[in-house]
Amino acid sequence: MKTDNKLKGRDLINIGIYGAIYFVILFAVAMLGMIPIFLPLLSVFVPILGGIPFMLFLTKVKKSGMIFIMAMIMGILMLLTGMGPWPLLTCAIAGILAELCFKSGNYRNAKKAVLSYGLFSMWIFGNYLPLFTDYDGYFAQRADYGQAYIDAVQKLMPLWMAPVLLAACFVCGILGGLLGRAILKKHFEKAGLA
Amino acid sequence: MAYSSEKTQEQRRGFLDPRTKLALVLILALLVMGGLGGNSLKPIKTALSALPFLLLLIEQQWKRFARGIAMLVIGYGLLFAMPYLPGTLNYIALLCGGILTRFVVTIVMGEYLISTTSVSEFISAMERLHMPQAITIPMSVMFRLFPTIGSEWRSIRRAMTMRGIHLGGARAGQVLEYQLVPMMTSTVRIGEELSASALTRGLGAPVRRTNICRIGFRVQDAVLLMGCLFVIAVWILELCGVNLW
Amino acid sequence: MVELKNISFRYGSEERQDYGENSLSGIDLIIHDGEFVLLTGPSGCGKTTILRLINGLIPHFYSGSVDGEVLIEGKAVSSQELYDTALKVGTVFQNPRSQFYNVDTTGELAFGCENRGLPEEQIYKRIDDTVTRFSIEKLMDRSIFHLSDGEKQKIACASVDVSGPDIILLDEPSANLDYEATLALRELILEWRRQGKTIIAAEHRIAYLWDLIDRAVIMRNGRIICELRGDETNTLTQNVLAEMGLRSTIQESPSSISLPLFLEGDEPLTLKGFRLTYSGAKEPVVNISDLTLAAGEIMAITGANGAGKTSLLSCICGLEKRCKGALVFKEKTYSRKNRQKLCFMVMQDTGNQLFTESVLEEVLISLPKNTENEKDRAEEILRALDLEPFLERHPQSLSGGQKQRLAIACALASGRRVLLLDEPTSGLDYAHMMETANLLKQLQCMGTTILVVTHDSELIHACCTRQYDLEYLNCQH
Repeated sequence: MKTDNKLKGRDLINIGIYGAIYFVILFAVAMLGMIPIFLPLLSVFVPILGGIPFMLFLTKVKKSGMIFIMAMIMGILMLLTGMGPWPLLTCAIAGILAELCFKSGNYRNAKKAVLSYGLFSMWIFGNYLPLFTDYDGYFAQRADYGQAYIDAVQKLMPLWMAPVLLAACFVCGILGGLLGRAILKKHFEKAGLA
Repeated sequence: MAYSSEKTQEQRRGFLDPRTKLALVLILALLVMGGLGGNSLKPIKTALSALPFLLLLIEQQWKRFARGIAMLVIGYGLLFAMPYLPGTLNYIALLCGGILTRFVVTIVMGEYLISTTSVSEFISAMERLHMPQAITIPMSVMFRLFPTIGSEWRSIRRAMTMRGIHLGGARAGQVLEYQLVPMMTSTVRIGEELSASALTRGLGAPVRRTNICRIGFRVQDAVLLMGCLFVIAVWILELCGVNLW
Repeated sequence: MVELKNISFRYGSEERQDYGENSLSGIDLIIHDGEFVLLTGPSGCGKTTILRLINGLIPHFYSGSVDGEVLIEGKAVSSQELYDTALKVGTVFQNPRSQFYNVDTTGELAFGCENRGLPEEQIYKRIDDTVTRFSIEKLMDRSIFHLSDGEKQKIACASVDVSGPDIILLDEPSANLDYEATLALRELILEWRRQGKTIIAAEHRIAYLWDLIDRAVIMRNGRIICELRGDETNTLTQNVLAEMGLRSTIQESPSSISLPLFLEGDEPLTLKGFRLTYSGAKEPVVNISDLTLAAGEIMAITGANGAGKTSLLSCICGLEKRCKGALVFKEKTYSRKNRQKLCFMVMQDTGNQLFTESVLEEVLISLPKNTENEKDRAEEILRALDLEPFLERHPQSLSGGQKQRLAIACALASGRRVLLLDEPTSGLDYAHMMETANLLKQLQCMGTTILVVTHDSELIHACCTRQYDLEYLNCQH
């Protein structure tokens, strides 16, 4: 088989297949996040469970661009579901980092794959950005909700939560990557999928 | 001639062009949820917040309309009840209420976009926005597979009931694995067959794809797009220090 | 003209340098313009592989090592892109659930033409033309999720027709179709014959096109063992066909077999008040007020697609929450929940009911808790079903027939006394169909009651002892 580096129909369809599974998992977890108290937990559950399809996806990635496109599509879907344009930005950055990381391992290094997924998972932070970009402005606008509201939110989502959530995405991404590797070995390789 | 595909495509055309819907989602996400813009935009924001509900009514999506309103009522209800609640409940009500009222409008707009736009309309719009095939092909595959994943999932759940594997049983820890793995296996298999079939029908050829789906701007699109431009203009003016009212 | 010149092929990956056994060895085949060629032979004989070589999926999609050349009108398929081959070759695939790229039928018909960038007006014209010739007006502008398998396969054929290729490949298109739908498929093929298209079909079920073909190519283990001209096909007796691993060439409607429903002396198994209406539908899909079946027999459940056979099985298994009903067996009444412990259904997508990482584990989790010598018991069951060599294999890596056996092994392990099967022989060749038939007989001897939904007349002849024909009975009521 010819191995030229341009993405072909088959590669694009593969992005779609694994993107669909990843997004369904994301969506199922986000349904939990509709109860807002669980919102911060998105940065824990999505990276961990998403690791399973993503590690399988990485076994199909042999050309540059596939991870980046996957990330951009997640950004676009976030935009469509009303999460705003910030995820587009974090997706672009996380996508490029993940792409470069996996590329440096020639698209086959298992450790780089896990690290790459950790980097990829950081896009999820984009969903929190609207809360943090204009922290003071946000509360100034809500002044009419009363001081009690502002105190409460600032207590639960203080500004220092921002780096914590970002780190959580990355660390849970690594955990998810390891889980994904384990399931890959236990099931998908034996089933002839990887 | 009994059947005309051209005519039925025209009949199926939605109220708005998907590109207009996309512009509206973006504006709402930036201004209402993102909280951009200061005091001069406040009345505009209130008007914008009502827009997705109005659109749902126009397209007769009663269920989604009711759900959106319900979320809004719950959100404001919590904020109202908050001062009268004790201790931690107070915080929870506050946070839930705050986030709900903030997110609900954009989520309803997103729902409107998704529920009233067919996949081919959406892809057609993306193509007209000059999105590359690298984005449109994967996205169309995703939309195609979502219902499939749903039905595979249900079929696996039924099979588990039959095999007698339940949540809370002795093997509860493995239940998630038992569900996810066959779901992914069959989705990937179906996906592979899907791509074989699509490739033998010429997907990915380096030509400009056409699309039989009818989209295009009409009066209602023009009005709403002008509205978007107006909002952006007010916002820019405000950034420059000009206050209109 | 399609030419295969001394083709040998092995599936496998170039990168890892691991190849399977030869799927094809030394194939020479020339197919002339306007010819209708049938490729047939037992599972794994290489007929699908030949189609994949012609439409270019090998080597562009499925990797492996190819020797020899495949030429279409003198041009090598392997050196041109898939989208160029697509202009000349169209393919209808086996699985109606997975070959649609769009979610609506009209979009699906337009798909091939859209990909090559034909102007919209021309596409509309082509679609209307195909719709008229195939008489599928009723199927237009529908969601593909609301079509029966037979209807989906019609849309798949129409989609190829709109693109207008000269060469049409059919990869077991009838595998999931019932008797009526197979006849409808035959009509579409006749329409292509009239237009002078070159047709190459790979099929197990050969009866519906046996009298239409110009040539039959019979294969085994990757080689062509025999070629017959259309006028020689009658010379084969059914016995010779069976020896070559082929299915019968006689078309027979399963409803016309009419075995008895219940005989004097049979032990009764009674269904009472089974009624199921899907939301949005007006008519109930299952509607049985009182029906007595024979326990301890192999009962065929027949009737056209959409008559509610699969839904009936789900109701009997207790999988439909909205279907109450009661089942009376050995003077005991089983409610919905209790039926879940009495019955076991082997579903059409057997892969979705196997969860663990090995065949042995799969049976172990089915055994009742506190079974003594769990492992020995599991191995004993697997031995009885000829699955012992696969103990450590991953269930998802088994073949369709093996998955079916494994699901049955799980049913036996969990001590179910009523076994239901949904189209167990769709897509199976003669030998595998007979294996299934013999297995069912073996299970019957062990005292299991078997209900099998099927459109396979040969399976009914081979093992069924009773029959319940849905349409026939519905007419009587």
